[in-house]
Amino acid sequence: MRTKQCITVLLLAAGGLTVHRATAQAFLPAAPMDKTVMRYANMPPAARPYASFRKPYQEWYVQPDTLEYSGAARSERDGDVATLKTINIGFLGPLDADNEDSPYGVSMLHGAELAVDEVNASGGYRGKPFALAIHDDQALWGASSMAIVDMRFKDQAWAMLGSVDSASTHIELRATLKLELPIMDTATNDPTVTQTLVPWLLHNFPDDRQQGYALADYIFLQRHLKRIGILQVNNRYGRVGKEIFAQTARRIGHPPIVEVWFATDTTDFSSQLQTIKASGVDGLVIWGNAAEAGLILKQMRALGMQQPVFGSSRICSPEVIKIAGSASEGLTVISAINPTRDDPTWTGFQQRFAKRFGVEPDAYAAYAYDGANMLMGSISQAGLNRGLIMDALRGYEMKHYAGVSGSAFFDYTLNNIAPVTFAQIRDGKFAYWPERRTDWKPNDAANAR
Amino acid sequence: MNPNKTTTVLQRTLLSMALLLVALPCAMTQAPAQNRATQPALYTKWINYTAANGFPEGEVYCVTVDGSRVWAGTSHGLVLLEDGRVKKIFSTDDGLAGRAVMSVAVDQQNGDVWIGTFGGLSLYSGGEFKNYTNLTSGLANDLVYGVALQGQFLWVATAAGVNRLDTNTGTWSIFNETNAPFNEPWAYGISVAQQKVYFAVWGGGVLAYDLAKQTWKPFTDPDGEQELVLYRNQGLIHNIVSSVSYNPDTKTFWASTYFGLSGYDGRNWHNYLTKDSGLASNFINAVQSRGDDVWASTQSGLSQLDTNTNTWTTYSRDPKTGRGEILITHADGSKQRIATETSLAHSYILNTAFQGDDIWVATAQGLSHGIHAQPKE
Repeated sequence: MRTKQCITVLLLAAGGLTVHRATAQAFLPAAPMDKTVMRYANMPPAARPYASFRKPYQEWYVQPDTLEYSGAARSERDGDVATLKTINIGFLGPLDADNEDSPYGVSMLHGAELAVDEVNASGGYRGKPFALAIHDDQALWGASSMAIVDMRFKDQAWAMLGSVDSASTHIELRATLKLELPIMDTATNDPTVTQTLVPWLLHNFPDDRQQGYALADYIFLQRHLKRIGILQVNNRYGRVGKEIFAQTARRIGHPPIVEVWFATDTTDFSSQLQTIKASGVDGLVIWGNAAEAGLILKQMRALGMQQPVFGSSRICSPEVIKIAGSASEGLTVISAINPTRDDPTWTGFQQRFAKRFGVEPDAYAAYAYDGANMLMGSISQAGLNRGLIMDALRGYEMKHYAGVSGSAFFDYTLNNIAPVTFAQIRDGKFAYWPERRTDWKPNDAANAR
Repeated sequence: MNPNKTTTVLQRTLLSMALLLVALPCAMTQAPAQNRATQPALYTKWINYTAANGFPEGEVYCVTVDGSRVWAGTSHGLVLLEDGRVKKIFSTDDGLAGRAVMSVAVDQQNGDVWIGTFGGLSLYSGGEFKNYTNLTSGLANDLVYGVALQGQFLWVATAAGVNRLDTNTGTWSIFNETNAPFNEPWAYGISVAQQKVYFAVWGGGVLAYDLAKQTWKPFTDPDGEQELVLYRNQGLIHNIVSSVSYNPDTKTFWASTYFGLSGYDGRNWHNYLTKDSGLASNFINAVQSRGDDVWASTQSGLSQLDTNTNTWTTYSRDPKTGRGEILITHADGSKQRIATETSLAHSYILNTAFQGDDIWVATAQGLSHGIHAQPKE
């Protein structure tokens, strides 16, 4: 009897011990995480940081209240449409021909211009036309930082589009936290722009995180390659993208064998390729631009390297085929869009764009067209109040948007996490197919907005 | 040996241990209740400066106290208050480098006022403005977030690195990713200590510059992941740091982030989130610390931590009634609410400054002056 009482008291005591254990909990490994919990950015379960180690003390970006805003922007006086000639939207993109990113910026501008023209043809905003206040995102680091200030105070813009360069986009993002100008970002690949908890930015271009996960899944789980090398351009685009892919590769048990970089204006890749060749990789991932990738393919085949090559979305351009010729055969890259889609939304846009600008639209044009439409739709819905325009953009949270670029889905950070598209060069042309990642869970169609 | 006796001794020992184990947690949870007896000193009277009484509309980004004068940086220029009245509103027409004023530092030696704007750096001296921009000086970038004086040196936090201007010689130095361990060069805030200068860097954590050794020490998020905090007091809670404040009284620097509050006393980290403290919001625009207190300017109110008692006091405004609410969260988790007739101008807080025992608060919709009340037993 007494022994039973002792055991009972001990059990009670053990209950009381939880207070102490809570303190010590931080030093104990936690149980494996529930696979059914929401994963940030549709992260493959195996790629979750510390997944096999412990449950984190705090996880961000997966709660419905991830983005809070309790500032005063909504209570600012609305703009008086009667006094305005145009409803201005700022545009920041690389446009100067000397800027290596200008092809993306020009496409982006054309996409936005087409969208603005079409909305204006339908009446604009309460009879007033939308107008783009265009600013060139200069290649010199930080030189464009004043663009958002000018948009807010000189252009009297209600929102802005931009940019391609992730550093410029980050600068705009930081400034808009003070200036409170909604940003529709349609072109940067940098996943960190939506990781800041700043609620003023909506991002629709497939980011490096989505691209990295898709490539890792395809290379390691579908192609069953094991020894991968990485060759990246040494700028922010290359560094961020490479790191996400490398991190994912490490977590799923295939750490990169070799990681090599090159400067942005490199044309001779022989030293990098010799290093990669000596490491005995069975595949190579390039994170860079199409022109560089074309030269790399040509030079690596000339060195007798026949390994399959994979790449990021900026490589998905006819330029790579033009430069590398037959050496590009078999190249597999991420594509931000599938231009061979035959649905009328895409084909209609394709025709209108080609008629207006004399060229086929690319991904940067398509996402800018969609982004400009989302922005103008949000302005029309909210009125001329920047806080309410931000709210309208935030209305896309956990919702689909069906546009010319495809179906986007925005998570709690307002980032598009829809599956990406693959493209492979076969017989001198890109062949496209949708990402088929096994862990991808389609989002509820009932959420469509 | 009598087996029955052995059992009895064992039972007694186990019972004693069990009772001790039961008692300990009870003692732990009861002890902080003593704190409830002492109510922290509160700010129960607020005087607000808004568009209604001649202050510019919109956000107040910063506030700096200079004796009986108060400088406020707003989205419509720089405001000077003297003896509680708006004396002058300086705009770009007056020569200010930019309309949006992010930071102000006053040189106590000569009265010069240094102003960080979204448009460059301004010096207000002898009734005139002199401006420094990226094109006309060594300023790293025209988006200036922070300014701080340290003797003859002016430190400037910009969107493209940190500057140090020798105000005696006019010599500019620049620190960025090329010559210092900036993971990102996007500097936000500066706090000057006796031997060190601390920098808040967006995406780069906190950087400490040792003045004597001329060396840099980075403090970054040790889990290396944006999307999580691995352990509560793991180190800096997140790399996106919005401001930093060194407290010489406790020899601790505090860093505000959009992901909670971090403090480092040279030995241990002290991290706080809304889920484990009385912090009003994890999204913190700025932090100030003096004495035992830490003031977090959050987007949902002004939170004060008394590190001595682990008591949190949060000030906010009821947007419907305009009345104030003080929420006290004691160390044991118990809460106490106090209503006040007057309140902050807005609950979205951007910065604070002290004037003796009084506090000045920059909010999204005006500047607030909090009058200090004596503690009650």
